[in-house]
Amino acid sequence: MSGRPGGDVLLETTSLSVTFGGLQALADLDLTVGEGQIVGLIGPNGAGKTTFIDAVTGFVPSGGGVTFRGRPIEGAPAHRRQRLGLGRTWQSLELFDDLTVRDNLRVAAERQSARGFLLDLVHPGRGRDEAGVDFALDVLDLAGLADRLPTEISQGQRKLVGAARALAARPRLICMDEPAAGLDTTESHELADDVRRIRDAGITILMVEHDMGLVLGVCDYLYCIEFGVKIAEGTPAEIVSDARVVAAYLGAAGRDRVDVGGLDVGGPEIGGLDVGGNGAGDG
Amino acid sequence: MNAKRSITAAVAAVATALVIAVLADGDTRDRFLSGEGVAQGSLIAAIALGVVLTFRGSGVVNFANGAIAMYVAYVYAGLRAAGDLFLPPLPNPLALVEGVVHWFQADDALDLPDWPTSISFAGELGFWPALVLSLVFCVLFGLLIHLFVFRPLRNAPILAKVVASVGLFLLLQSIVVRRFATNPRTLRPLPFVGKEQVDLGVLRITEEALFVTVLVVAFTVALWAVFRYTRFGLATRAAAENERGAIVLGYSPDLLAGVNWVLATTISGLLGIFVASIQSTVDPLVLPALIVPALTAALVGGFRSFAVTTVAAFLLGMQQPLITYLGVNHDWFPRAGSQPIPGVHLLIPLVVIVAALFLRGDALPERGAVSLGRMPLSPTPPAWALRVGGPLLAAATAVCGLVLFTPSFRGALANSLIGVIICLSVVVITGFVGQISLAQMAFAGFAAFAVSKLSSEHGWPFPLPILAGATVALVAGMVVALPALRVRGVNLAIITFAAAVAVHDAVFRNPSVSDPLYGAPVDTPEWINPNRSTRVIKVLWFELGDGKLPNPYTAMFCLVAAVVLCYGVANLRRSTTGRQFLAVRSNERAAAAAGVNVGATKIAAFAVSAFIAGVGGAVIAYRFGGATPDRYTYLQSLVLFAFAYLGGISSVAGAIVGGCLVTGGIVWTFLSNVVGIPGEFTLLLGGLGLILTAVQNPDGIAGRVRSDALRLLGRRRPTAADAEVAEPPAHREVLA
Repeated sequence: MSGRPGGDVLLETTSLSVTFGGLQALADLDLTVGEGQIVGLIGPNGAGKTTFIDAVTGFVPSGGGVTFRGRPIEGAPAHRRQRLGLGRTWQSLELFDDLTVRDNLRVAAERQSARGFLLDLVHPGRGRDEAGVDFALDVLDLAGLADRLPTEISQGQRKLVGAARALAARPRLICMDEPAAGLDTTESHELADDVRRIRDAGITILMVEHDMGLVLGVCDYLYCIEFGVKIAEGTPAEIVSDARVVAAYLGAAGRDRVDVGGLDVGGPEIGGLDVGGNGAGDG
Repeated sequence: MNAKRSITAAVAAVATALVIAVLADGDTRDRFLSGEGVAQGSLIAAIALGVVLTFRGSGVVNFANGAIAMYVAYVYAGLRAAGDLFLPPLPNPLALVEGVVHWFQADDALDLPDWPTSISFAGELGFWPALVLSLVFCVLFGLLIHLFVFRPLRNAPILAKVVASVGLFLLLQSIVVRRFATNPRTLRPLPFVGKEQVDLGVLRITEEALFVTVLVVAFTVALWAVFRYTRFGLATRAAAENERGAIVLGYSPDLLAGVNWVLATTISGLLGIFVASIQSTVDPLVLPALIVPALTAALVGGFRSFAVTTVAAFLLGMQQPLITYLGVNHDWFPRAGSQPIPGVHLLIPLVVIVAALFLRGDALPERGAVSLGRMPLSPTPPAWALRVGGPLLAAATAVCGLVLFTPSFRGALANSLIGVIICLSVVVITGFVGQISLAQMAFAGFAAFAVSKLSSEHGWPFPLPILAGATVALVAGMVVALPALRVRGVNLAIITFAAAVAVHDAVFRNPSVSDPLYGAPVDTPEWINPNRSTRVIKVLWFELGDGKLPNPYTAMFCLVAAVVLCYGVANLRRSTTGRQFLAVRSNERAAAAAGVNVGATKIAAFAVSAFIAGVGGAVIAYRFGGATPDRYTYLQSLVLFAFAYLGGISSVAGAIVGGCLVTGGIVWTFLSNVVGIPGEFTLLLGGLGLILTAVQNPDGIAGRVRSDALRLLGRRRPTAADAEVAEPPAHREVLA
């Protein structure tokens, strides 16, 4: 684990494993995310990237250890991990279509107690703390859409709302599952700026992404997995020159394009195929 | 995984041990292996096979399959006895004329033409012509149901499908009740088998019961073979796994669903005819209710296995005579007074359902449909509605109830306000959180009988029993919420349905809870006593009260309760809790990722909903001066669920509309007193309206009015109906 930039360890997995029936989806994965970093997790389709996020955030049962902010959280249910400051987005967005954008964010921002529950019956709007919601709307520049329904806005905007919902709880770490899937090149560039703004607001990011332009452009550190096993880690420069990563994932074409453009990759071979593949496999 | 397997093995072992113990003793063996029980088992199996077939073919859990079998048996009975095919009754449009005429001249009966009541096939038919015609009817009926009800709903949320099948249940039952009343209709015996006993060694059974049993087993084997070995069966299985896959392979899921609907209707109808002929009667209540053991059997078979389903159905049928025998002859059997407690044979399906669901997790696999439509829209109540609309509506209702309404409308107002309360409880649990509960009137019943005990036996003063009763209901609701933590969607609907049936018989009709003749008395304070006519109070130049029954203050009492609860629910929807409810309804895992404790939220929702239903039940008890079991039947739960959906299941406004629509409420009193459409049409038109609402207008009447009003104001928002036309963006992405 040498050569990694960044401060204190925020998230650490040790020997994280997930099995589905007889299938080993993740095997003994060690991964560390330092405070203030943008860490990328890459790998071919079916490598277990989304499964990793699911395991860390509490959506699939896993073996091994997960430590977040110095606390073991591997047994905690998903909602409790979120309250500890571990947010996530979904590749398929999973917005609450019945709630306005602002209410979508409020669900994530607001905590509920038994006493609050009873008070809600008589005095619903009391002492509302909108700081988290406004923060998220502000960072992603969504204030103009706050009172719309998710069904009324564009797909690109919906993706931002998905991210904003995770931000509204002011998490310490946000796991983003393919934030650029389905976006065109321009939108992808804008997304890179959004990701940096989120980091600059003090939120650490763990990103699963196929858009190599985005990944190489914004990430401080990368992990590459294949068939649930880590095959490489390092800075973006180290990763693109790693023989195993090139063979397993980037391929010759990918490598050429990375060398050439730096930003203009994530071509249709990788990104385009993935949209359908993950959509169908999701859930 | 292994723990689960060992629990399953343990349960299977206990069940086998029980069966062996029953068979070991001569007395119990004779009761268990009775011809009567086997015949009942074959009937349950017939309905259950139809349920499984429909589910495998179209992904619909058909709560109406028992009602379909009953309906077909009535068709057959009419053809056989008189050669008449009865037609569904409809309100006579000319009654409008009559109604208007009656405004001017009181007693003149007009002889207006009405709809035809039947199509006649020239007198009494023989067995075979009647049977063939009935089967033709079955085929058409199955097609009709598929084409006009469930095909349009193929991509709708599970809620809409459950609602449509509940609507079908109510519609078919009310058509028969309207045409033939509730008393049983006699059928002639089957011509080709006799009533002689056949001794099969372990089992003495009549020839005809043996025939039906063999037929059911033959159907089971045939269905198994068809699904296993034919291309049709393969295609149906493929479509159930993944509709898009089936489309790609060149099969139309629609056609497959249609064929399966026809098969299911025909098999259930045919066996319905045979068993009704053996029992020589059919009535509109018993057969439709057999859907509970049938669903139980289907659940045990995982809604897949025809063989397991049939075996479970026979066991469920055979346990009934045994339980009755044990109750009469054994001291250890739980008793109330000197009587064995009723309804134990109904508790058994409930226990089996809960056990099966817990062991299997979600028994019903979610179907791999291409896309799912949206749930009904649940708008945040606007501030003007709370500050201005609500108070104005409440004041207007009070003025109507105290000053303007005639006695019959005063009674109707009280009924409607009670309906509003029960509909509110449905709005909270089903509208806000998406959990389908068909047991709301059972929660109400718990409260009502608690009120009776506390007020008349323990002398608690007036408002206290309401709160205590509602708290009892709340506890019952939280018990029901426990399975809701593991099962969802239609499974929960099945559990609550079975619970509503069992609780009514085992608890409410328990003689120590409610006197079989007089019900449970409630000590009603004088001022709301419905049987007390009020004095006429003169205020300045106009008079308050007309000195007639019913007491207008009864309705005012209902109004206070309804208004308080409406505001509570509206506040809930505007609050953190309300947003969390809707988040859970919309997407459980996304809600968990947003920090919502999904389990606690569901329990809270059940608690609130059951509490509201409990207040409703207590108000009913005070409004009628006593609690009787027949106000808290499973059918009442279905009916109120229906009206809540019709009004608009996801808003307070919808609950208010739903309350106006209930049986004996404002709308029907208006229709029967002023327009001349008799009140018996309530459930018939209600059932029809429910199906139409599920298919055409999932937002309900209130939702429709709202979206139309917004359109007029130029602030259009998409409704759930629009969302079905425009595919959700998430799926567009997949297809791109």
